[in-house]
Amino acid sequence: MGVVRILPVLAMASAVLIAPTPSVAQSEVKVGLIAPMSGPWARQGDLMVKGANLAIDDINKAGGIKSLGGAKLKLMVFDAGDSVEKAKNAAQRMVAQEPDLIGATGAWLSSFTLGVTEVTERVELPVLTLSYSDQITARGFKFVFQTSPTGGAQSVSTLPALVRMAEAATGKKPASVAIISDNTAAPMSFAKPMREGGIEKLGMKLPVDEIFTPPLSDCTPLIQKVRSSRPDFLLLLPTAISDDKLCLEKMHEFGLGRGRVPVISNGAHIGAPDLLKNLGKDLLEGVMTVVANWGAKGQDDIIKSFVAATGEPWITQDSISTYGDMMIFKEALEKAGVADRRKVAEAIRAMDTTTGPAHYFPGNRIKFDENGRRVGADVVIVQWQNGVPLTVYPPTSAVAEPIWPKK
Amino acid sequence: MQGSRSSLKSHYLAIGAFAVIYLLIALMVRNSYYQLIMTLVLVWATMGLSWNLLSGYSGLISFGHAAFFGLGGYTMTIAFVKWGLTPWLGIPLGMVVGVLAAIIIGIPTFRLRGHYFALSMLAYPLALLYVFEWLGYQEETLPMMRDAPARYMQFADQRVYTAIALVILVAAMVVSLHVERSRFGRSLLAIKQNQPAAEAAGVNVLKWKMLALMLSAAVAAAAGGLYAVVLLVVTPPTMFGVLTSAQALIFTLFGGVGVYWGPVIGAGILVPLAETLHAELGHIIPGIQGVVYGSAIIAIVLLAPDGIYWRIRDYLATRRAPIDTAERVAPSVPILAASKDERPRTSGAPLLELDGVVRTFGGLRAVDGVSLKIKEGEIHGIIGPNGAGKTTLFNVINGFLPADVGSIRFAGGELLGLKPHEVCARGIGRTFQVVRAFPRMSVLENVTIGAFVGAANDAEAKALAYAALERVGLAGARADAIAGGLTTNELRRMELARALAPRPRLILLDETLAGLGHEELEGILDVIRQVNREGGTVAIIEHTMHAMVKLADHFSVLDHGKLIASGPPGEVIKDPAVIEAYLGKKWMDRAQHPVT
Repeated sequence: MGVVRILPVLAMASAVLIAPTPSVAQSEVKVGLIAPMSGPWARQGDLMVKGANLAIDDINKAGGIKSLGGAKLKLMVFDAGDSVEKAKNAAQRMVAQEPDLIGATGAWLSSFTLGVTEVTERVELPVLTLSYSDQITARGFKFVFQTSPTGGAQSVSTLPALVRMAEAATGKKPASVAIISDNTAAPMSFAKPMREGGIEKLGMKLPVDEIFTPPLSDCTPLIQKVRSSRPDFLLLLPTAISDDKLCLEKMHEFGLGRGRVPVISNGAHIGAPDLLKNLGKDLLEGVMTVVANWGAKGQDDIIKSFVAATGEPWITQDSISTYGDMMIFKEALEKAGVADRRKVAEAIRAMDTTTGPAHYFPGNRIKFDENGRRVGADVVIVQWQNGVPLTVYPPTSAVAEPIWPKK
Repeated sequence: MQGSRSSLKSHYLAIGAFAVIYLLIALMVRNSYYQLIMTLVLVWATMGLSWNLLSGYSGLISFGHAAFFGLGGYTMTIAFVKWGLTPWLGIPLGMVVGVLAAIIIGIPTFRLRGHYFALSMLAYPLALLYVFEWLGYQEETLPMMRDAPARYMQFADQRVYTAIALVILVAAMVVSLHVERSRFGRSLLAIKQNQPAAEAAGVNVLKWKMLALMLSAAVAAAAGGLYAVVLLVVTPPTMFGVLTSAQALIFTLFGGVGVYWGPVIGAGILVPLAETLHAELGHIIPGIQGVVYGSAIIAIVLLAPDGIYWRIRDYLATRRAPIDTAERVAPSVPILAASKDERPRTSGAPLLELDGVVRTFGGLRAVDGVSLKIKEGEIHGIIGPNGAGKTTLFNVINGFLPADVGSIRFAGGELLGLKPHEVCARGIGRTFQVVRAFPRMSVLENVTIGAFVGAANDAEAKALAYAALERVGLAGARADAIAGGLTTNELRRMELARALAPRPRLILLDETLAGLGHEELEGILDVIRQVNREGGTVAIIEHTMHAMVKLADHFSVLDHGKLIASGPPGEVIKDPAVIEAYLGKKWMDRAQHPVT
């Protein structure tokens, strides 16, 4: 009964939307951004919007899309909310209400991206994403492009990257590694290939391998094991900031902090400005994290204008990747010469460049394989140095030398 | 709420009209986003109906319906991904898994009541959430079948999903309608309103609760399966999250509890409202949609505590009141020929035999080795001072309390170890010291609940109930009154009718005369005598010695749990032990040596 009453309203509302919209003048090209703008991941969505806005400003100030007669880019933001259902609804709303979008970026959380791309694939709208899940590009989809190394690729390539870093710093191969991780999904799958032969293959030992159920009440027994076995580095993989804090404090107390036993974590949250407020400069000193993208060498101008425009202290993965996504769309539009989503997708598929947008992604190359994974996407290692998280790996992107004890 | 054929037809018409109108609107909608929302409204309405099937009718609040929703969704998804099973079969398979889960969950959880039941239900989906994460199903997507999409329930035209969801919803509505209007639903309502009374009236509480949970789980699993088909991605938080259980509950409370339109109204308003708020306000002030949504729910709950449906119904009922009463005359039910004089009065053979029955509460021996015989056809008075163990004895006989030692044989069969509804089915009815009514049902419905145990079908139960009401003098206009508004006298009569309705061989009356005026008392005594004259055996607990002497054929006296005297009333009241028990030693001396 209630439904019957509300339905005519719905129908009327949709009738308005069914009515043909006046064709958009070529002077404006719409790009979508679908990410959590509310709920627990709203901060990440906000950082993405900041990156996108900066890129669009830069593009429009430089004369817009030249092959479209200087058409300006316009960002359309859609809130993916806090659940897969909301993300999928938002995606459906996006494609239904903005039929002339030429592409979109999103949706930050892997499960949201999976739901969103189910919708966009069906209307052939190209989507760029920095989400990690391997599944995103394992479904045979043609219109999703993953700029970050997948979760599986990250967990395989992290360890060799760390070994290379350690070797470069100390001149000899590290012999042992310790793992402390909670039992949630992300760190478990990150550490899986390392535990299952990855460490052995590199000729290293794993003297400490501790798994706990969050939250920790005390990290002392875990850190004591690290102190007594003195590994060359420690993979510290909690997901809760409170657990990070407990363990880092304890390391500090035991005199293992400030990089004496190098600590490597996983995920962009370790490099977020919010963490500095929470943990303080001293605790974070020397702590590293593995991410898909970060502010890199040669991006000084962008970082400077990003800081000036947003008030953020530095640029993180979410902002720089979204900045880069806008640049990929610009490049594709220039190539396509027409504001059509299928043509834009084609141009992205055909793209193979080491200039332009390639500048904003580690490895400095934009080429996607047949699954939509970026060729040469490598992990980025970021290290806290004097209260700022700086890119220290790969060398082509590094803005600082890693702090690594030369014993 | 009488389940006559014509009114059932009108319900079908209403459901049919709703389905046709909804489908027509869905077919007209071209915007794919609105198509999606129209499908989700139906999925969530189905989920709400699932919750209502258990919690709305039986009053057992479940915070854990996401368990069945998630199992339905995950079964379908895993079967699809691993074995290529089409959702056309995967959803029914999920329903089977849901029903199995309901049995496994129900067996331990139905031992709990009230908050404890609600809290332990909350635990199941939370545990399942972690199990599915641990199993590695964090993010499962349904593979896109480009070759035979329809075979795998994948349609480019989203209106097809709306149609499928509508079919499932209508099925759930029809199931709910039938539950609501049958013995099933009445039994659940009786459990909700007074579980001990329901048990004593012969309602097999565990069976009905379990059936309700199984049915509810099947509906939730179907909703979950379809939800996964529509969403194409399942994650443990979306399938097993607290929000999933909460939404089922919120939509039902909002729309109307205990009625099948409730969840449909709730989901029909709240799902589009939440989405619209999200779409229209979300990008202006992120998060404000949650505040507005919450405020809307609070406002409705304050203005219409039982849900919108009941608010509207009450409003319409007051406006239509005059016509209503005219229509609500007593239903014409064929009155069964009362089974008069089938049994001889006082055959002399013992109908109920207690042998050495002991029941202790810690150190207190409430019933202490009682052995007594109640003969077929007699009125057996059980008397004794307060705290003598009389009610405890009744509770042991009808199965509310297990005895520690002893045996209770009824018509040759052992009663110990039987549940109250089984004792009732053997032919023992009872009333309570404080009347236990189903306050929100009519008098006739109250008595009908009691009649089910002695009836082959719902119609016969109603006829038995009406016959019982005639016997106690509540037939006619009062039969339709709501039990909550009755006087003590009427309540006593109604409870008596409920116990008499299935025509028990033995009826246990626990202080049925308490709190009645002189004339009312005589009226009830007449009913009891009439029952006895027609062959019913009566055991009655009473304080009022005066009334008892006139009524009973035999007295048994309990004191401190022990049987201290048994025999014809005239002898028993002269027994010194009885006088001492009632009046104390000092007064006994006086009674025996009255001061002249």
